Amino acid sequence: MNKAKRVAGVVLSSVLTISLLLTGCSDSGGGPEAQGGKNGQKEPVTLKFSFWGDTIEKKTVTEALERFEQETGIQVEPMHVPADYLTKMTTMVAGNVAPDLGYLSSGAALSWGRDGKLLNLTPFMENDPDFKKEDYLDQIWYEIEPGNIIGMSTAVEGYGLMYNKDLLLEAGVELPPTDANKAWDWDTFVEYAKKLTLDDQGRNALDPNFNPDKIRQFGLQYDPYNMMAAVVSNGGNFLTEDGTGFGLARPEAIEAIQKLADLMYVHHVSPTPLQTKNMPDTALQTKKVAMTVSGNWALQAFAEQDFNLGVGVLPKLKESNTLLDGAPTVIFKSTKHPEEAWLLYKYMTDPESVLPLIEGGLWMPLKKEWYTNPELINKWAAGNKAHPEGYTEAFMKQTIENGFRTPGFEVKNLDKINALVTPALDLVWTGKQKAEEALKGVEPKVLPLIEGYYGR
Amino acid sequence: MAGILFALPSILGLMLFVMLPMLASLLLSFTDYRIVNTPKFIGLANYIRLFDGTDPYFYNSLWVTLKYVILRVPLGLVFSFMAAFLLNMQFIRGKSVFRTIFYLPSIVPAVASSMIWLWLFSPDLGLFNSFLEALNLPTLNWLYSEQTVVPSIVLMSLWGMGSTIIIFLAGLQGVPRSLYEAATVDGAGALRKFQHITIPMMTPIIFFNLIMGSIGAFQVFTEALIMTQGGPNNASLFYNYYIYRQAFQFGEMGQASAIAWILFIIILLVTVIFFRTSKSWVFYESEV
Repeated sequence: MNKAKRVAGVVLSSVLTISLLLTGCSDSGGGPEAQGGKNGQKEPVTLKFSFWGDTIEKKTVTEALERFEQETGIQVEPMHVPADYLTKMTTMVAGNVAPDLGYLSSGAALSWGRDGKLLNLTPFMENDPDFKKEDYLDQIWYEIEPGNIIGMSTAVEGYGLMYNKDLLLEAGVELPPTDANKAWDWDTFVEYAKKLTLDDQGRNALDPNFNPDKIRQFGLQYDPYNMMAAVVSNGGNFLTEDGTGFGLARPEAIEAIQKLADLMYVHHVSPTPLQTKNMPDTALQTKKVAMTVSGNWALQAFAEQDFNLGVGVLPKLKESNTLLDGAPTVIFKSTKHPEEAWLLYKYMTDPESVLPLIEGGLWMPLKKEWYTNPELINKWAAGNKAHPEGYTEAFMKQTIENGFRTPGFEVKNLDKINALVTPALDLVWTGKQKAEEALKGVEPKVLPLIEGYYGR
Repeated sequence: MAGILFALPSILGLMLFVMLPMLASLLLSFTDYRIVNTPKFIGLANYIRLFDGTDPYFYNSLWVTLKYVILRVPLGLVFSFMAAFLLNMQFIRGKSVFRTIFYLPSIVPAVASSMIWLWLFSPDLGLFNSFLEALNLPTLNWLYSEQTVVPSIVLMSLWGMGSTIIIFLAGLQGVPRSLYEAATVDGAGALRKFQHITIPMMTPIIFFNLIMGSIGAFQVFTEALIMTQGGPNNASLFYNYYIYRQAFQFGEMGQASAIAWILFIIILLVTVIFFRTSKSWVFYESEV
């Protein structure tokens, strides 16, 4: 009797718990039905826009989204993910709760696009009378295959030489040219970098008594991540032209990469990766480094530091060029409101919408007109601290004319290839192996992973 | 019966959030599942790919993790046992202060402590190298050299052993005082008491910490994520970081599940072996 009562109690409470759990679930289950809007009565549309970035980017993007909301009546929910972005996106996509649109890393975007998780923007662009693809830079498109464009780069990011003008003037070094036709050749560049590298006794790297173990000021800081500019400048590429071979293991690329490593271990003008770990972000300002190779975004931070910033084009090996970096903004196929998402997409790619980021030095605009129309140029690339004299030529013109995209835009399977190539290159950047040895060594493992180019 | 009722929430939680996902990952480990596609059954292909060497990182990450476990587990046990023993001494003043100090690192989030250690390990400006330099000893590259990266992370992990120390401390305090008193009467010195009373009485605790420590060590992850990203040259590509990379950077969920299950089996085996051998050295008072 007593026992039966107890059993009944257990059963009852289990049922209660389970039904509680179930109602908890059914709450959200009612969602889509309610959104249907049977009587043509339109429910307010809400879009979720996910993005990363520092405080300034967060503020600017959020404000842009708010303005869009006011202008169109379409609600936007900003989702700022400052760290572990890809993990978060992966989890959301796997759980079928992906945002409507947002930033995405290039590798994931291209492979998810290939698997049909992202909207093909081509039909939207073709059917929208207000949109002309030609208005935008040619290098910014992420194209899975001809006719399937999953997005454009969130911003243009060109590379250039940035330097502390005072240090160059002090050392009597000619200022880096801003005109691509006058770009320093490699030997000149190394010579100047040597002049700008000083040991603790103030001797420069040309001095026979120069002590490379006690360097006070480096001529140059070169993040190996930017090596593709040198590789391409020397006529090489990540893959071979036909997309079947490992381009980095070809002589042109090996030569370029070795030249970069030599800056550290032969000429002693550039900090090793180890020494770089100790470099403050204010290396130019604090005279630890005279010149640095970096992307456009670095200007935002430099503008906040108090020093005489100068910009020039990258030194060349054979051809003068610059590297364009980026990560796309995409629309997820799971969105329930593709039309509205496209409106927001268009809005966010308009330089006007995110002007503070462009003017502040973090981004370069996506539209061609902003590189050609003097009035628009004045809005961002002139007369402010983030865009010193020479910027329009060294960055802007160079980007349009000789801007070469990073492999991230077009090489298939790049993340997995890089998981092999990066450790191999680590050996080169740490001076343990020659470029030839490391790259030829990893080539047999890389070859089976090569799948060619997207969009070709 | 009512007991079950009270336990029901956690049982349900265990079912829903542990057993079910585990079962799912076991099933997924036999599929080709890259998040974006629907899982396709491919049998043992994921496992074969790992063991036949097609995957270039599997053996490497196993080896790196094993190195870590072998260094970390015994060192961790000795270190935390010693710390607990000292904290339990009668003559130490301000014991509670020291106990707090030793436990404090355990409540610092792993990310924050990794950042701190990143500074300590910094080759040019870091505290450790400044210290070595001051003593005219050669400096090390700590996290930035293939040889020293794993030992460096082991060193760092010893810092956060607070909870192990607490467990040892509790164990030490549970050793009956009467045993020591009897030994004193018999004329035993401190060392003999330690050897013949403390150690044997503590074997269940040592055993527990050995098991928990090994399980934890096999799953080392945050350090690799925050401090080294598996570098230099994959020398700190810990097994769990490898799973993370495979799953969330490459999106290969099916394969990541297979990798995870192999770790599960390894840990299971290691634990079973420990349990088997424990019979010969673990001493339970109640069994006497």
